Amino acid sequence: MNRTPTLRLGPTLMLVGAMLALAACSTQTYPNSTFTSHTDLNADINAVWNRVFVLGMAVFVIVELLLFYVIVRYRGKPGAPMPKQVHGNHTIEMIWTASPILILIPIIVPTVKTTFKTQAPAAAGSLQVEVYGHQWWWEFRYPELGIVTANELYIPTGKTVNFTLQTRDVVHSFWTPRLAGKRDLITNKVNHMWYTPDPALAEDVFNGFCAEYCGTSHANMRFRVYTVSQQDFDSWARHQKTEAIGSPALAAARVAADSAARRAPARASVIPAAAPAPVEDAGYVFPAGKMGAHTVPKTPMPASVKFDDALLAQGDAARGRTLITTPANLGKAGCLTCHVIKGEQAYVNDDVARGPNLTHVASRHTIAGGIYPLDPSHLAHWIKNAQVMKPGTSMNTFGLGEYSPLLKGKVTVGLTDAEIADVVAYLLTLK
Amino acid sequence: MASSAAPAPAFAAAPAATGQSGLWSWLTTVDHKRIGMLYLWTSLAFLFVGGTEAFILRLQLAHPNGQVVSAEVYNQLFTMHGTTMIFLVVMPLSAAFFNFLIPLQIGARDVAFPRLNAFSYWVYLFGGIFITLPVFFNVAPDAGWFGYAPLTTNQFSPGIHIDFWVLGLQILGVSSLAAAVNFITTIIHMRAPGMSMARMPMFTWMSFVVQFMLVLAFPAITIALFFLQFDRFFGTQFYELAAGADPLLWQHLFWIFGHPEVYILVLPTFGLVSEITPTFSEKPLFGYNVMVFSGILIGFLGFGVWAHHMFAVGMGATADTIFGIGTMLIGIPTGIKIFNWIATMWGGNLRFTVAMKFAIAFVALFLIGGVSGVMHASPPTDLQQTDTYFIVAHFHYVLFGGSVMGIMGGIYHYFPKMTGRFLSEKLGNWHFWMFFIGMNLTFFPMHFSGMLGMPRRVYTYDAGQGWDTFNLISTIGVVFQGIGLFVFAYNFLKSWKGEKNAPGDPWSAGTLEWSIPSPPPEYNFAQLPIVTSRYPLWDIKHPERTAELRHSDPDTAVVAEAHGVPMLEQTETRTAKALGIPMPFPTIKPLFAALFMVMLFASLIFLHTASLQVAVVSMIGTTLLFIGAVYSWLTSPLE
Amino acid sequence: MATAAIAESSAAPHGEHTHYTTTGLENRKIAMWTLIGSECMIFASLISTYLVYKGRSKVGPWPHDWGCKTSAIVGKTAAAVQAAGCAAADVMKPVLDIPITSQSTFVLLMSSLAMVLALEGVENHGKPGYDRWYKGSRFWLAMTALMGAAFLGYQAYEFTSFVHEGLTIRTNLFGSSFFTLTGFHGTHVAVGVLWLVSLLAIDMKRGLKGATDVLLVDIAALYWHFVDVVWIAIFTLIYLIQ
Repeated sequence: MNRTPTLRLGPTLMLVGAMLALAACSTQTYPNSTFTSHTDLNADINAVWNRVFVLGMAVFVIVELLLFYVIVRYRGKPGAPMPKQVHGNHTIEMIWTASPILILIPIIVPTVKTTFKTQAPAAAGSLQVEVYGHQWWWEFRYPELGIVTANELYIPTGKTVNFTLQTRDVVHSFWTPRLAGKRDLITNKVNHMWYTPDPALAEDVFNGFCAEYCGTSHANMRFRVYTVSQQDFDSWARHQKTEAIGSPALAAARVAADSAARRAPARASVIPAAAPAPVEDAGYVFPAGKMGAHTVPKTPMPASVKFDDALLAQGDAARGRTLITTPANLGKAGCLTCHVIKGEQAYVNDDVARGPNLTHVASRHTIAGGIYPLDPSHLAHWIKNAQVMKPGTSMNTFGLGEYSPLLKGKVTVGLTDAEIADVVAYLLTLK
Repeated sequence: MASSAAPAPAFAAAPAATGQSGLWSWLTTVDHKRIGMLYLWTSLAFLFVGGTEAFILRLQLAHPNGQVVSAEVYNQLFTMHGTTMIFLVVMPLSAAFFNFLIPLQIGARDVAFPRLNAFSYWVYLFGGIFITLPVFFNVAPDAGWFGYAPLTTNQFSPGIHIDFWVLGLQILGVSSLAAAVNFITTIIHMRAPGMSMARMPMFTWMSFVVQFMLVLAFPAITIALFFLQFDRFFGTQFYELAAGADPLLWQHLFWIFGHPEVYILVLPTFGLVSEITPTFSEKPLFGYNVMVFSGILIGFLGFGVWAHHMFAVGMGATADTIFGIGTMLIGIPTGIKIFNWIATMWGGNLRFTVAMKFAIAFVALFLIGGVSGVMHASPPTDLQQTDTYFIVAHFHYVLFGGSVMGIMGGIYHYFPKMTGRFLSEKLGNWHFWMFFIGMNLTFFPMHFSGMLGMPRRVYTYDAGQGWDTFNLISTIGVVFQGIGLFVFAYNFLKSWKGEKNAPGDPWSAGTLEWSIPSPPPEYNFAQLPIVTSRYPLWDIKHPERTAELRHSDPDTAVVAEAHGVPMLEQTETRTAKALGIPMPFPTIKPLFAALFMVMLFASLIFLHTASLQVAVVSMIGTTLLFIGAVYSWLTSPLE
Repeated sequence: MATAAIAESSAAPHGEHTHYTTTGLENRKIAMWTLIGSECMIFASLISTYLVYKGRSKVGPWPHDWGCKTSAIVGKTAAAVQAAGCAAADVMKPVLDIPITSQSTFVLLMSSLAMVLALEGVENHGKPGYDRWYKGSRFWLAMTALMGAAFLGYQAYEFTSFVHEGLTIRTNLFGSSFFTLTGFHGTHVAVGVLWLVSLLAIDMKRGLKGATDVLLVDIAALYWHFVDVVWIAIFTLIYLIQ
């Protein structure tokens, strides 16, 4: 056997590999790292992890070194005598049967303790949050506060949050890497998870993901978690409880005023939370300026969905509202057959609604399961052809003449671009 | 080569010795060695299919918001990548070795049921084609290889994507079960005189454990799939949400199969590595008894830890703890095996053939998978790891670093025995290093992307999440693996046609299969040898190497006296006919039985694509054809 | 699978050592035992599913309780269901009929006895003084098949009456898991009956004699007893335990 090519080939290729590996060790930040202790739950998990990791690495290093030593030390020499024929050694075998047990015990003890501690019932007085998984978006409810919202979760720092996890369709998994581990949302089963965000945690935002494969747009089922002070949380909650529009009678005037105020900054990319709102108390909203780069969606818009953003300036909220609330229009603008807007005519309730509750949609920063930013342009594209914007979504294609993958044909009863601009204008009043 | 003393006539042994050649002989063969080669060729072909799928997946994920394929296509590809690699590549690669090696290692002339063996192969081939074809028509299964209900029900997966998966897996299950029954019978029953259980080669031992796992684990998924099949085709309610179904029913049944499946995939490799390391260390296997017992223990424990795939489903702290600790305990027998392989090499005279390199890499890489395995055996830490790329890294270290690397070692080791020709060591080196570096480049960064928050099974991810570099490196690693695979393919094809240069015992190994010519004559052993120790060939060629072993076996001595001949290195290559050894007739009937059975399953698809009448007519038709084929098979004489 | 494995009819090892096997048993018998091991897991999965889904159905009919067609009312007696507000016309009987199934269970148990006698007869072929035993074997074989068929008749009757009472495989979780479990078992009995009938056919044609034929009957008996034992488990767990 010619060993020469081995000696050259192996190390050379190893070197190439190592260089590529080194390239990974850039000074990047890792905004979804699980190695954080922002909550008591993650701190507990990391305590176990640290133990497991250190012991695991010790085993790894020792055994690989041993293996390496053996390879080098006992590499065959031509003409070497027959090695000593050893069939086994009971003492040595006993030692390496027993030694893994010694390594496992220090892992098992904290594992058992932490498993029971973290799965105990949440403390009394915790903030109750109900999480419902949908293909492919998240519904969050605060039963004590009467709030139903979607894809963006507000929790107060320093207070234990008790999540009740359920799903309306297939199995999903609720995961915010920097705050906690996963818990699955299982059909016909109620799961729980609780944690307490560190009281010292600043106003911050965290990415959340669906972690159990749930169909076509599993990758597009994301959410945000905002940790805010108790005071801000209360302000937010107080406003979210309200009907965004109020009674239909009041609405017209308010909408008119609002759309006048909006016309100017309509092309802004993100709804500025600080924009003067005509509503009494806009309530706290997580400031757009504090959304870290990793929490602002950068999903590219599909090229096939075309919408002239200039039209958005002409959008009229009052017209938009009439469009979607007139029963005769349900065929072409059936928003309310799947969405709830508290205060408007209801065709569905939250328990059977197929789409997110839109009562305060304009107070959110993202749409479509967290994959697009909430701004007029994205909203318009979304309404025009959600089927293309997010594969498999149950939201219909509304743009007149657009190709709908769901219908496998062009939409014949739908909205013109101008009408879409009106609807967008209306939706943006739902602060 | 220490084996220069090997008798020259071995070179003359060609497939011609079997008196068969041409396509027809392959279609009708019942020879375990040829069926083994059919398994090998077919599964390597599927390896290219599965590898191509993986390559497209990695292209899509090379950059954030990748646009190489659509969500629908990606989901089909990742589902088929998993299904292909598990059911159509690694399991049948193992089956190739079961077929080729087990009878040779225990000193038998064939398996217990040669025609059933052919049937298993044809079912695998047709089932594999059935489940793979839809990929090319954009109707491939798209719910993951684990197919969690209720995503797989008609409600959430209308159309025929999932139908192919359900029916395909049922078909492949029949193949595995038939093969397992066959090999259990073979190993229990057909060992040569003196080949006691305590002398069986380690590969045969590990295979023996695997056959039991197949027999006991497959029923769980068979039933789970029957439920799904009934739900989809006949309107039962097993996974119907509205009827109050429990999705965990599927998960439990699936993983009661699925976890033993992991050991089904890796134990045969344990066996192969246990054959390779002693041979190229020029030392016997260290701690044979412990190796056997740890293998059996892994098999046992493997059935009791399925729910560690389900820590996130909310089983409760008690169940989590029990399954967590059970899982960690598997680390003990696995650790023993790793130490024993190292001890086998310790003090040896190591020859770094390509086979040996793969075997050593197997130990090094499997260890990484083992260590990360313990990291998510702990339920609290698993909640951060499950369903992330950390898990993808883990099981690729186990299944690629473990199973595939080990099997590749096995191919380099046994290719001379199968074909009478060596694979090129030079090309083999390239193959090895490309694989070794490629797999580390691909899968090691996944540990990081996973722990840094990247979920699995996503067709896309957003920019700026801290995963970009890791994903790019993973994709570059796949290129290395791809090059390695092509080098291997070239080497394999070239050597297959190459010069016959391998003697019967090219590596100076000690077990029975090396005592006969390469390739072995159709009857394997002209006369059943009396096996005198674990290394019968060393007993006659290097008695000093087995001096410590017990050579007398009072229980088998009488039998040996009556049925065997003293151990010798066989040079006989004449045909069975010339020697008057009765061999089973070649027959096409198992092929037709398999074909009609697969068509019977496939007919169910018509329920969703055509009318009830079409489905019923084609089912009745194929059933009659199947019964006819089986009847004619059963009523024709074997030999 | 079973039949394929079994019928490799001359699967003895080849060559001059034709009669050598490691254990001295025959290949097909080991194969049958292996298969029975696998079947145990099949039925364990089916039975566990039935038990897991017991009481999870959202609508009736129920196995042991009275129900109501129009609501989710469940009770131990018809009176209790009516008292809870169910109209008399909507009351649903408990589905499982234990007296009838006890009869079919008895028949199946007796068929195992007949199988034992049939095998005993074939095994004693040609032994002096056992002539009557051997002659009886054909009768007992036929009896076994007949009782198996009778069991299937009972099952057909049971299924039909369940469907009349409103329980189909699509009705609820109970219906799905019950029919699938007992249907799987019934299929096994049916396969067994066909197997016995084909043995009878061989017997009629050339008589069952010699070691190979004993093995054929022996393996069939093994299968038959297994199917019988499984039924005892099903009868106890599904019918008797409420």
